[in-house]
Order: sequence, then structure tokens, then C-alpha cells
Amino acid sequence: MQAAEDTRRECWKCRAEPGAALVCPRCAAIQPLPPDADLFAVLGLPRQLALDLADLERRYHAASRAVHPDRFQTAGPRERELSLGASAAVNRAYRTLRDPVARGRYWLELHGARLGDGGPQVPAPIAAEVFETQEKLEELRTAASPELRREVEALRARFTGRLGVLRDELSALYASANGGAPSLDELKRRLSEIAYLRTLLGDIEDAMGEGLRGTDHRH
Amino acid sequence: MGRIIGIDLGTTNSLVAVLEESGPRVLPDPETGAALLPSAVAFLPGGEVIVGARAKALAAERPLDTILSVKRFMGLGVEHVSADDRRRYRFAERSEGVVRFVVEGREVTPPEVSAHVLRELKRWAEAALGEITGQAVITVPAYFNDSQRQATRDAGRLAGLEVLRLVNEPTAASLAYGLDQKDEGVIAVYDLGGGTFDISILRLRAGVFEVLATSGDTRLGGDDFDERLAELVLAELPEPERSRAPVRARARQAAERAKRALSDAERAEIALGSVRRALTRAEFEALVEDLVERTAGPCRQALRDAGLAPEDIRSVVAVGGSTRVPLVRRQMEALFGRPPLTDIDPDQVVALGAGIQAGILAGGRRDMLLLDVVPLSLGIETMGGVFTRLVDRNTTIPASVKETFTTGVDNQTSVDVHVLQGERELAADNRSLARFKIPICPLPAGVPRVEVTFLIDANGILSVTATDLRTGRERSVEVKPSYGLAEEEIERMLEESIDYAEEDVRQRQVREARVEAEMILHATRESLAREAGLLADGEGERIRTAVAALERARAGEDYLAIRDAVETLSGETEPFARRIMDRSLTEALANRRLEEL
Repeated sequence: MQAAEDTRRECWKCRAEPGAALVCPRCAAIQPLPPDADLFAVLGLPRQLALDLADLERRYHAASRAVHPDRFQTAGPRERELSLGASAAVNRAYRTLRDPVARGRYWLELHGARLGDGGPQVPAPIAAEVFETQEKLEELRTAASPELRREVEALRARFTGRLGVLRDELSALYASANGGAPSLDELKRRLSEIAYLRTLLGDIEDAMGEGLRGTDHRH
Repeated sequence: MGRIIGIDLGTTNSLVAVLEESGPRVLPDPETGAALLPSAVAFLPGGEVIVGARAKALAAERPLDTILSVKRFMGLGVEHVSADDRRRYRFAERSEGVVRFVVEGREVTPPEVSAHVLRELKRWAEAALGEITGQAVITVPAYFNDSQRQATRDAGRLAGLEVLRLVNEPTAASLAYGLDQKDEGVIAVYDLGGGTFDISILRLRAGVFEVLATSGDTRLGGDDFDERLAELVLAELPEPERSRAPVRARARQAAERAKRALSDAERAEIALGSVRRALTRAEFEALVEDLVERTAGPCRQALRDAGLAPEDIRSVVAVGGSTRVPLVRRQMEALFGRPPLTDIDPDQVVALGAGIQAGILAGGRRDMLLLDVVPLSLGIETMGGVFTRLVDRNTTIPASVKETFTTGVDNQTSVDVHVLQGERELAADNRSLARFKIPICPLPAGVPRVEVTFLIDANGILSVTATDLRTGRERSVEVKPSYGLAEEEIERMLEESIDYAEEDVRQRQVREARVEAEMILHATRESLAREAGLLADGEGERIRTAVAALERARAGEDYLAIRDAVETLSGETEPFARRIMDRSLTEALANRRLEEL
């Protein structure tokens, strides 16, 4: 595993070599994260886009059990501080990696690429429906008839469906890459459309007067 | 250091528990055996403070000096005090900063009031355990923001407790429910207490309790039901009677009794002196329906944030006394499609969970682990008053995020950062948590690079560090809490409370009992002198005997004897007092009828 390559660290407490482990295998002291550790390494994984979610959760729970501050309540200040930092890193790793979209974005970031800042382009496959939706949302803000709400509701269902399809495609893309990686452009294109749909669904939710703004559409 | 105790610091009632071999156990009042300590704090003349059931009983006599729901004010600023609040308590006139009550002529902050409740619970725990306790886990509503959490932690410090962890109430409840259940799945915890509402969705797997999403309303609870019912009977009274604080306090007490009765009975009566208002459960339900309906929004929000549908929820757990209300149970069933679990006493389940978490921290339950979340997004104010989110709500804690800041003007010597919490687009619509300045070397605009790290610990509390990336030096950040107590202020309060804490408990009890005796003796003498005409046959004699007995007891050192004598006298004068109040209400009613004619 790439993650285990950095073995020159030594345990601050017992001088054993913990490798990339979060906790020293000999004395169980919590270790500072290697400065070059990426989020895959934090959970003991090689850099790869295709992940088994059940395995990821098991790793997350095991790492949490090892480093969570609840385990270090009676330890000294250095271990308590390390526990806080390691636990935050473990949480961030899981939050990012369990979601194929967040994972893809992180992948871009790792490779020095990012989604455009100029706001995502209207994705061609759904352009017509997008314009229709924006008109309807404008209307909805001034006069909300039940009929209009039903129409927007139907559009929302379509976009939610499309988002599901895209996510499946993304997972398929990761799996087909077979340990290798898809082209960054390919990844970017899909992630942009997903980002666009999420914003649009957020706007719909707002216009329908539901919930709080800015929901992380995790489904 | 003794054992770690778990405290449920509730809006209406508070409890303390510990984890033992056999499981968690609530520690009762050493004198009465009661498990629940009413979160009532009465400030008496001469600086005495009474906590609990006796304070609650004083609320009708001294409504302005008896704080009943201090939790509602934790972490709030002066601008958050409502008109209703002002009718209930006196507040210090300040233009900004933390809210301050004025009681018996002096100002107290909500953490100081809460500290009195915590000290009393600490005393209960020490009596039950036979050892000094100094470390605690305290529960807070899951939807509490950073300021409210800080205020709770400050209250613990002021009470002489090292607060090892703040645990979210619904999460604590899930620990109590999940303790011996080996099965796994997703549960919803619906927690409607006296003053707050929380909904949390958790996944239980192999001893890991992972919160997926949480939502709520920190100003919604059973107190609001009481208020509605009280208005019903107060509406029958004319002004100014209706607005008098003692009358309102009595009306709320009567309303609470009626509400409780209606959980089992179909009919009840709110009795306020001679004014009696009968009502059916259906009427009560119609009256509070919109309040109960308000819990639906947060529930849907939490489900959506968790990416789940109601049918994904394996069980729904009822927490908090207000879930005894049948309408609330029906609401839970309607929202989640199944009847709620109520196996564990909804008043005790949070405290039991706090006790378990205390045991986990002490290393006693290494099989269990709680992974909680931050309830509200955290971010900063950026150009144009926009709120830029750095940490999304429902992010698992601990969490950290780094952000780089620079300057907009040449030769700036510092960067101002305004931290906020909430879900709205504009900074001004969110809750301000803190402002701080990061000192920097004066350079042309855009050149400085300061990396700021926001770290949310396992308590859900934010701390901030800054590093100057040009020099690699860590810069100290001076955080000014928007609605919190400054460190110096806490130090000063601690100094003041040391005398109080170190004083012999027994001596304090004697002094408190004497003040109580003084108050009731004074009131009785006044009534006897003014309202002698309302005395029944032989009643004056009985009252005078009780007065004499109390005067004798007050001269002695036995505080239990003084309290007994106070209770006897209070029992003897109760019918007399009710007649006096009846008459004033009747007169008021008669006046109104005349006016109406």
C-alpha cells in the first residue's frame, strides 16, 4: 500500500516505528499524522477512486475507536491534542471519501485540477428543462398556485432522478478505471453537472419555501 | 478526583446520574429522595439563594426574583430578549452583550443562575456517593449553538465542576436505549422537553452510535403549552390583574397541573382562585396543535439531511416530559409511521445517558463510542455581508477547517474576522459567535497570507488559531465572544463564589431556612393584620400557634426543624391565602362587569 510507505517516523513515546498507523502498535500512543498524509492514507487506503463503502465504514469506525477524544480523556495534554487533530482528520476523510462526488472533487484537488470558478455551465442534456424550471421558479415567487407547485414538483423529481443516474455513472466510471483513473476532464464534466443540479435543486427547495437553505444534497 | 457524574441540566428539571457495574443510576435528593430537581432558582433578600422544589414553590410569591427557565436564556444577548420575557423577569438595561437578570437588586447572568442548579446536583451526588465529585458530563440540546454551549460550560466552571464533555441530549438518550441492545439500525430520537425541541437521527452499529443528522428548535417546549393554557384562564381576568406577575405565575402553575392531568384524563380544570376553567383534552389539543406541528419541520429536515425516508427508521424514541402528551405521541407516529418507544422514563433517560457517557470517558465502557455532529453551519462574514460557510451542519465532530485570509488595503496591521453560525445567506441573519483580530505585518494589499484554523472539539465548541504563512509564526487570536462571558468576568465570579462554595453546607442550610422563615412570617403577619375579616373560625388561633412554633424553631440551629415549621405554617395559611386571592380576583371581575355594563 502506498500509504504505508512512509516508515521513517518513530513513536514520540516509545521510539518504535509505527509506520503510517494512527496509533503506535507497541505502546498504543497516538501519533501525529505524517505531514504528507492524504485523506486516503488517514484511513489506511491507497489512492484509488473505487472504494467499497462497507469497508470504508469499518475502517472509519476502527480509526475512530482508536483516536476519538473520548478515549483520551485521562491521557496527558499532548495525547489529548493529538487525538483531537487525528479525530478531525479521520472524520474529514470519511465525510469526503464516502460520497462519490466529494471523493471525485478531492481527487481533482489532489491532481491540481478544480471545477471552474465562473459557475458551472448549464449542462447540455437538460438545458431545456433548466430554462423551463427557472421561469417557473420566478413565477412561483410571485404567485404560488397549487398547479404551479405540482409542475415544479414534477421537474424536481426529474432532476433528482437525473442526479441519481449521474451518481451511478460516476461510480461506474470509478469502478471501470480498474485501479487506474479516469481522465480528469471526464471527471470534471460529470462533477460540474452534478454541482449544477445540486444548486438547482437547492433553488427549487427555496422557492417551494422548504427547509433551510444550502442543504447538502447527500442522497 | 472521584467519579465522573452525568448531569441533565434541563429547562424545567435537572438530574444527576453515574454509571455503576449494574448500569446507570440516577442519584436522588439526599433529604427527600426525589430524582428530579426543579431547575428553579429563587433569590432572597440578604443574598440567599434557594434551588429546586422550594424555589419553585416561591415562584408565585416572588415571580420576578425566582428564575424558572434559565436555560432559555443561556448564551443569549440582550437583543434576543422578547416582550414576553420582559413581562416575566426584570433585565438589566444594557445595549449589548450577554443577557442579565436583575434579582433582589443585583444583576446575575444565566450561567450564574445555572451554576446554582449544578451546585445543588453536585451536593446530591456527593451525598449519594460519599465522596467529593469534581468532574462532570453535562447534556445540552443538540440544537444549541456555540454560545449556548459555552454558557453551559461556564456554568459548570462556576459550580466548581470541570466539564469534561458536553453531550447532546438526544444522543445521550440513545446511549441509554442502546445500552444492551445488540441489534443495529437507524433510530430517531424525538426530544421535546420543557423548553427545547431536538430531533436526532442515529445509526447504531457494533457499539458505535453515529449521529447522521440533527435539527430542532431551542425555544419550543412544554412551557409553551403551559403558557397557552394559562392565557385561557388569564383571559377571564381584567387588567391590571391579568398582567400582575404573581397572578401569571400562579396561572402557569395551574396550567401545568391541568396539562399533566390531560395526559391521562379526558377532562381537567384550571383553577386560579375562584376562577375555574374546565377544558377537554380536545380543546387543549386544539390550543397547542400549531406548537406540536412546529416539530414536523425539523424532523423532515433531519431526515433529508441524513438522506433517509421515514420508512428507513427502525425505531423512534420518546424523550422529555412533553412526549407524555398524547397529541405529541400521535405526531411522532404520523411523522415516522410507528408508535414511539417509551420503555425508559422520558424524564430520566437523558440523565441515564449522561451517566453512561461519564462512564465511557472514565474508561468504563470501551465497547461504546459516540460520534456526534455540529448542529448548525459555521462560517465567516465575507465581502458584502455575505455568510461564507466553512463547516456544514451535521459534520461529524471533532472537525477542523483551514482558511487563508489576506488584506484589502495597503499596510493593514490586522485582519478582522467575524465568525457566525446558522443557515442563512446573509451574515446579519445568522447568530454572531465571535469577532477577532489577527495581527499581521504591514504589507501591500493582498500580500499577507494568514491561515486560520477553526477547530470544533467533541463538545461542539469552536476554537480558532492563526498562523502567518509568511513567517510560519503562530499568531495569538483574541476572540471576543458576542454573547458570552469574558475570561476576567468568570474569574471574578469564581472568586466571589469561593466563599459560597467553601462555606459549611449545614450552616448555609440553616441560614437559608431562616430567610425562608422570615419571609413567610412577615407575609403572615401582614395578612393577619389586614385581612383578619377573612379568617375562618379557629383559623387565626391555629395560624398563631404555627407562627409561634416557627419563631422558636428559627432561633435554633436545626434547619430541618425550621423547614418543617415553615411547611406547617404554610399549610395552615394556605386556605386563608387562597381566600385573599379569591377576593381580589372576584373584586377585579366585579369591576370589569361594571365597566362592561
